[in-house]
Amino acid sequence: MNEELVAKISDLQEEDALRLAGNIIKQGGDPNDVLAAARKAMEEVGQRFAVGDYFIPDLIYSGTILKGIVSIIKPHLKQEEAPKKKGAVIIGTVAGDVHDIGKDIVVFMLDCNGFEVFDLGIDVPKQVFIDKIIETNAKVVGLSGFLTLAFEAMKETVDAIKEAGLRDEIKIMIGGGQIDEKIMNYTGADAYGNDALDAVNLARDWLMQ
Amino acid sequence: MIIACQVITEELLPLLQPGVTCQTLDFGLHTNPAALRKALQEAIDSAASEIDTIILGYGLCSRAVEGLSSPSCTLVIPKMDDCIGIFLGSHAAYRQQVYGEPGTYYLTKGWIEAAGNEFCEYDTLVKRYGQARAERVLGLMLKHYTRLCYINTGQYNVDEYLNYSREAANRFGLRFEEIKGDNTILKKAVSGLWDDDFVLISPGETVGYNDFLRAE
Repeated sequence: MNEELVAKISDLQEEDALRLAGNIIKQGGDPNDVLAAARKAMEEVGQRFAVGDYFIPDLIYSGTILKGIVSIIKPHLKQEEAPKKKGAVIIGTVAGDVHDIGKDIVVFMLDCNGFEVFDLGIDVPKQVFIDKIIETNAKVVGLSGFLTLAFEAMKETVDAIKEAGLRDEIKIMIGGGQIDEKIMNYTGADAYGNDALDAVNLARDWLMQ
Repeated sequence: MIIACQVITEELLPLLQPGVTCQTLDFGLHTNPAALRKALQEAIDSAASEIDTIILGYGLCSRAVEGLSSPSCTLVIPKMDDCIGIFLGSHAAYRQQVYGEPGTYYLTKGWIEAAGNEFCEYDTLVKRYGQARAERVLGLMLKHYTRLCYINTGQYNVDEYLNYSREAANRFGLRFEEIKGDNTILKKAVSGLWDDDFVLISPGETVGYNDFLRAE
């Protein structure tokens, strides 16, 4: 693990972090090691946010740095043999909500943990989730939402999936904002996650049994 | 007695009957629901003993009001997700706005005065990141926003606030729109017409998430 890179990313030193990642790749370093450092740094950023050292703009900024790192290493990852995907996850921010900082981090974490991720973006109508489930045959759906108003849209999406006759085939996880067991029960989801690692663990439990 | 967020107080003051006490809490508490809950509970607990009803000038507010209770007072809370719904006058009106154009940033006089919005946080961000980076972060924070709405509740002269909002919209490439607010909820709150738009919690009971659910 390149601890210097972990520190540069988690300290939000964008230029230093990107330069360092670029140098590692130029010198023939393993892109997967860079990815691992980025993953560890994002955990650190999440931790600092949880204890109040970082604020929302810091989370957004860390996401930008992460995107920069991914764009540096992606061409080099493609040259290697793509590892066998562990299964497919559909994810999106529900209708009426445009918040995606948390969702994007979940997408990144699922992707770099070997899942095939179909990211539907923001303000996703329930029918779009249903169409994607049918199209991809994915067995896990992640619904994201930050507003408490989004809990209604999550429930409506779960109900629509049920009405489409697909509910028994898939597992649904929810996350974002003030979500707990009460909201999980209200929406009819199977599980909820507090952070991106929870999402990875849930997907792993469901898809790798 | 009323305990209200400073953003709500701005709209409540013109409606208040003489003699009603209104305690105002800082808008900044919203960034931490647990801290807001604690401040609200302390305010409830310190209400004078002759008070039998406390109206909270809050909505569900990131679930900060869950868990609140009073041993001796009835708590009355607008059954709204947050103050946008309160200023628009109904849950239905809020839903209509949210589903019509979700990427909307809302402002009122209270939000502008309380400096509780991204546009006012510009200086703090510049201090933290430097100007170029601050503008980039702010741009990222607003990347999915297309519209800035000033909710005109018709209770005071809004020229200054409309100008502020219009300038903020221009600066960050958002479409500016002035929409009409509706004081129905606040009027009902202060006049004791606590119908289905309100959560009523009896003394000794606790506010729960389910209290905010609406009949389908």
